[in-house]
Amino acid sequence: MRIRRPGRLVVALAAVPLALLVAQEAQQPLFRVKVDMVVLTFTVTDSRGRYINGLQPGEFRILEDGIPQRISTFSEGNRPALQVLPDGQTRPIVPPAETAGLEPVPAAADALVGTNVFILFDTSNYMYRGFVYASDAIADFVRGLDRADSVAVYTFSRNLSRTAPLTTDRGEAIVGLRKAVAGDDSALYNAMLLTLRDAAKIPGRKVLIVFSNGPDNASMIAPDDVRAVAEDEGIPIYVISTNEVNRDPVSSAVFQRVTNRTGGKAYFARTWQRQVEAFENIREDLGNAYTVTYYPAPNPNEGFRRITVEITSDAGKRYRVRARPGYRPRPAS
Amino acid sequence: MRLMRVVLGLALWITLGLAQDAASEARRLEAAGDAAGAEGVLRAAASAPGASLEALTAHAEFLDARGNPEAGAAYDRLLSAEGLPGSRAQRAAAARRLVLLSLETGDVAAASRYLQRYRELGGTDWPKAALSPPAPEAAAWTIDIPGPFESFRRMAAISEDASPETVLTSLARNVVTSGYQAGAGKEGLVQTEYLKLLIRYLSQARELTKLSGPDRHIRIEACESIQAGDLLRTLGYRMRGACGTEVVLETVNATRAFLTIDSGFPLADLEQALRLNRPFVLDYRPTRIPAAWDPASLLGPRERQPVDLLDALLADPTLSRLYLGLSKPDPETAAELRRAIPLERLRAFAHVLDFFGGMFEIRGGRAVVPGGARAERMWEEMVGAPPREGVRFFDRLISRDDGWMAGYFDALARLDGAVLNYLTEPERMRRFYLAIRGRVTSPGPARPVFQSNTDMLLLTTRLRLDPDGRPHIPGGLEVWKALFAEERAGRVDERLARSARNWRDPDDLVEALFALCRRIVDNDPLRSFLALSDLNRNRQRPLEPSTVDRLATAYRRYGAQFPVFAEAPALGDGTMVQFLETAERLSAIRNLDVQADAVGVMQALVGLWQILCRQGTIPAAEADTALAGILSLFKETRSAADVFVAGRSGVAALLRAAGGKGESQPQERLISLLSGGDRAAPSGFQEQAAAELRGHFEAQRLIPLNLLFDVAAHAERAARGEKPDTALAGRLASRLADIDSPRSLLTSAERNAFQSGYWPDRHIESQRRVNVRSLMERAGQDPGRLRDLQGGLAPMLRDSLVGLNYAYYAPPGGQLLRSNSSFVRSHDFIGMPGSRETWRTPAPVSSGWPAGAGGRLVGSLAGLPYALAQAEQNFLIPTREQALIWGDLVPQLIQSAKVPRWWGVTPAQMHWVGLHLRLASSLLAEAALDAGRRAQVLEALSRQAAPARVHRIARLLERGEALRAAEAILPSESFFLARQLAGQAAESGHMLAARIRLMPAEAPEQLDYPAISRAFGTPKPTLAGSYKPELLHLRTFPALMGYSSRILAESWESSTLYWAALADELHLPPGQLNLAVPEWTKLAIERIFASHLEDWPAVLQSLRYVGDDLRRQRRQQAAALQNASIELAGREQQ
Repeated sequence: MRIRRPGRLVVALAAVPLALLVAQEAQQPLFRVKVDMVVLTFTVTDSRGRYINGLQPGEFRILEDGIPQRISTFSEGNRPALQVLPDGQTRPIVPPAETAGLEPVPAAADALVGTNVFILFDTSNYMYRGFVYASDAIADFVRGLDRADSVAVYTFSRNLSRTAPLTTDRGEAIVGLRKAVAGDDSALYNAMLLTLRDAAKIPGRKVLIVFSNGPDNASMIAPDDVRAVAEDEGIPIYVISTNEVNRDPVSSAVFQRVTNRTGGKAYFARTWQRQVEAFENIREDLGNAYTVTYYPAPNPNEGFRRITVEITSDAGKRYRVRARPGYRPRPAS
Repeated sequence: MRLMRVVLGLALWITLGLAQDAASEARRLEAAGDAAGAEGVLRAAASAPGASLEALTAHAEFLDARGNPEAGAAYDRLLSAEGLPGSRAQRAAAARRLVLLSLETGDVAAASRYLQRYRELGGTDWPKAALSPPAPEAAAWTIDIPGPFESFRRMAAISEDASPETVLTSLARNVVTSGYQAGAGKEGLVQTEYLKLLIRYLSQARELTKLSGPDRHIRIEACESIQAGDLLRTLGYRMRGACGTEVVLETVNATRAFLTIDSGFPLADLEQALRLNRPFVLDYRPTRIPAAWDPASLLGPRERQPVDLLDALLADPTLSRLYLGLSKPDPETAAELRRAIPLERLRAFAHVLDFFGGMFEIRGGRAVVPGGARAERMWEEMVGAPPREGVRFFDRLISRDDGWMAGYFDALARLDGAVLNYLTEPERMRRFYLAIRGRVTSPGPARPVFQSNTDMLLLTTRLRLDPDGRPHIPGGLEVWKALFAEERAGRVDERLARSARNWRDPDDLVEALFALCRRIVDNDPLRSFLALSDLNRNRQRPLEPSTVDRLATAYRRYGAQFPVFAEAPALGDGTMVQFLETAERLSAIRNLDVQADAVGVMQALVGLWQILCRQGTIPAAEADTALAGILSLFKETRSAADVFVAGRSGVAALLRAAGGKGESQPQERLISLLSGGDRAAPSGFQEQAAAELRGHFEAQRLIPLNLLFDVAAHAERAARGEKPDTALAGRLASRLADIDSPRSLLTSAERNAFQSGYWPDRHIESQRRVNVRSLMERAGQDPGRLRDLQGGLAPMLRDSLVGLNYAYYAPPGGQLLRSNSSFVRSHDFIGMPGSRETWRTPAPVSSGWPAGAGGRLVGSLAGLPYALAQAEQNFLIPTREQALIWGDLVPQLIQSAKVPRWWGVTPAQMHWVGLHLRLASSLLAEAALDAGRRAQVLEALSRQAAPARVHRIARLLERGEALRAAEAILPSESFFLARQLAGQAAESGHMLAARIRLMPAEAPEQLDYPAISRAFGTPKPTLAGSYKPELLHLRTFPALMGYSSRILAESWESSTLYWAALADELHLPPGQLNLAVPEWTKLAIERIFASHLEDWPAVLQSLRYVGDDLRRQRRQQAAALQNASIELAGREQQ
């Protein structure tokens, strides 16, 4: 069997690896082409921070290093993803068998419905005092997630623990959460990395929500290594810190940079009420985010590729787009 | 696929009518390593219509020898084969084997049935055996723990695998080690948070018990009931929202809520029941667990009423220590001590009993003492009571000199053979005791949290005797006299230095070494002696006196490098001295960047040499020449260009030593050699191992050696007038551009404001700044500038060579190497100014520093496998909610899985190990039936296991519980047991033992114990001064001060033996071990749930979990294949 690789275009990206069998003319050989897709999630807000909804795929221009990209699928909030045809029209995603002659779409169309939410709960000594309140706040958040979302609850102190694997069953996730055991040292960034690695194996849209007091005294990984993985895998990181922003300036600064660079956000919520509010904001973010997928256009850059999301309408010039700034493609294997 | 081929091949084979040759064909296949094929052939022959007795027997015995659980069914078929000529004797043998197999699986009823059949068929063995299912062991005393057992174990940090009878001992241990701490000022001991939480939990559990009603079930019938309110109040929660789907539980009392969550109360289930308005029922009956002692007999009069034992243990650490101490000797001994020694006196010396009581043994009223009858008189003199008065003897022993005497007794009792004989010669025994005891006895070795007689245990374990029975003194006594007198091997006290001048006998030195065992830090003279003694252990020629002198003098600075010398027994003395001289020369390079590169390149080359020697890739005879050759390249190294030239030549020298002839692809050649190279027949496993190495190398964005050498070679040609190759320069430049600088998310200003410290990016930045094209052009224009280019390449060469070492030892999972692309480049060979890390054992630093660029290793490359495992261990993901994975044992387990390689191991060697472990299991089953066999088994075990465990195994065997007895024995002990008893068992006709005896005839060089030790041993850098895998058959060590559980972990030799037997059972080729063992080890570690530092049964249990999983997967695969082949056959028929 011959392997056709379209030059440098075959890049393993931060997304859903998709093996497609492209049937050629009956008498021609069958080529197996490995194409990787970029999943890009972003929010659009006006100058007062209010979400802008109802934009259509044609109103966006996605660029990678300035090179325009053709959007393959489009979805808003937790609505089902739509396939974007070459003429800009949209249609519901149909199973692959019915797509002969059309653009390739993900084999599992439902992979783009809803968000896979990975919650990482700090159970180290640093969280000792706020442990039970944090548990309550997380439970509330899990209960309030959109029905289409899946959720996994992980905890960490020195090591990571997969307390509740990814599930759509809220009860199962809460049972896992309520079994969390208080630990000792904190290896926050190690745990974030391992959670991202797990999340990267799941197709579709995903986010990582970290609930932590902030300090880390055991990680061998630097925050920037975590940022790089999240950026490359297209996983926004949200952090809810139970500390005040000024109490631990190092962690505060790191949280803000990591979340900004990955398209997420950091909240500093010392009280239980503020934590609930932070979760509410995240839920809103998830419900108001746009998700597009595309297959990268030819680009010789194998290093960091800068992503730009533009809104083509005049009104859009005043809007603010929050998205990850780019990614670094993995080398083709 | 392989099984499918076997199936199809078999069909053909059967049709050809070759049934007569089944056994010989199976033997041929087995010898060729195709155990699955052999099994298929025998299975087909045994399944053929009218199969002969021989075919049935061969099949059953094959399965039996491979540990296949289907062996029982195969023997059953043989047992049913009535009417075949000569069948009675073979059927009787089958019945006999079935008796044992049934006992091994714990099926006493089946064993009894087969025993009956065996006797009916004329079997005469075990005439007195009568098998009946054992009655449950009734505990003489019990206590009740309020609430669910699981919750209590969670709160008390006791493994969920811990059996009820061990729970109180584990609790007592946790109270002693983690329950109290020194308070501020005059507070004395205060409770730790662990203990406070546990006490609060018990209080909450008692409140909940009151809510549970007479049947001890908590029942909430409806959301709005009073009971619901009471329960929630006790739990620290309240309802938010009206009853029904809106209800949510939220914290109202954080202290109580914490206990509720931490103890695993099913809060989510309660919430769900309230939301759905369904009844909530929770079994809240107390858990009754056995107590080793009558609680009343342990409690003082003041405590006896109304406090129960549980509360008393928590409230009083001395009582916990007593409970723990009494659990150490075997129950008979402990009972005698408890009976005869007043409670308060026992409490006062409970710490001594706890640390050193494990080897105490009273038999028939007499104390069993090290050295036996010959030493009894001296023990009486030293202790002040005769061993014949067992209780009085131990009473005096524990109360002498704050535990030094007891520690000495313990160290000697662990020994066996000639060293024991030497050390227990009466006069010598007293002399050495006085040395260790010293003038000031306090603090004793049992006072700290860990026992502090570490060096005494190491000395007695590592002391070697020469053939004349005298202690082996490396280099001879005169050398050590001078070393001690002149204090050149490290500081000793003045009196010792003076006395050294008068030493006349090796015993004088040993006495001094015992005296040094008291020192906790700065004990270089003792440690250098042990290191050099270890070095001599495997050498073909002992070290020369002058070399010993040189090495001992250099120990303080270079001692961490000595295990390198142990890799090659033929290493010349001159080469070792050359190593030290090279190290000294490189350490003197003033420019620290050049020094770090020079040291890094040299150590990396030595590291690769070490690996290739260990793998056998560099023949033993070439090892010395190869290392000397590499070291000589650094003779004139002063500049960066010199470093590059030496490194490049060093790679060539290594490859030549490994049999290469002018390699044009050094990178690929090295990777091939590191992944088995010429040691194994080409296989997919080698390719996978090589791909793994390349993956790590690429993840670190290191520059392949070929590219570096090509660039250098081209520049040299350009210097001679050739045109510069811009494409080559471009390739290197593009790789350099790919190097990540260690980044922080913080700005420099923030970093400066938040943290201060070393920022290890100079070495990396220097590489990023190299302009290869310009350097090449300049070299072309001015040959004198060629050295600039070579100097520019030196840091890259260092990283590539260091990276190959890292990649080789990368722990399973390898998250650090995958995720932190500057990890290798950040290796710090220099350390902080004045810290002299260059030749020390490496260690991870900078962890938990968010303002930094991640952790890195600082130090030399000697000890790299352990340091990498240390750095990686927090990336393991325990499968239990609460897994007590501890810091020193896990890195050693990982190291033991990564240092040895099994490219040269044969299927026969794996099978031989498997046979040993299976024979041990079978002997234990036989010991449950036969008192004679039991005595042999227990005698052999007593040389490995502590008296308390031997006692327990004896009781279990007497009760016919062979399975539980086997579960209490380590694989390494099983191997030892089978080794000891194989001869006797073979003589009595045991099939497995007969195979063990016969197999070596076919491959004598592979199938002897030294060869198995090399193949399936573990590295012991701390315990034996060498990374060379070997089996030492030592008793499992306790956790020791200064080493925590590291020495315990090094004495753990069971994992590899267990994996080898498992691979044999699953018919895996030996080459697969190279990939599978690290992965299996990782899985096993992730399943460890230990209650304390010395909880090796938890490690054993996790090995078994993984083994059971793999067996299950294998059975599922086999069943799926079988179904597929049936389906395929069906389709073909259609």
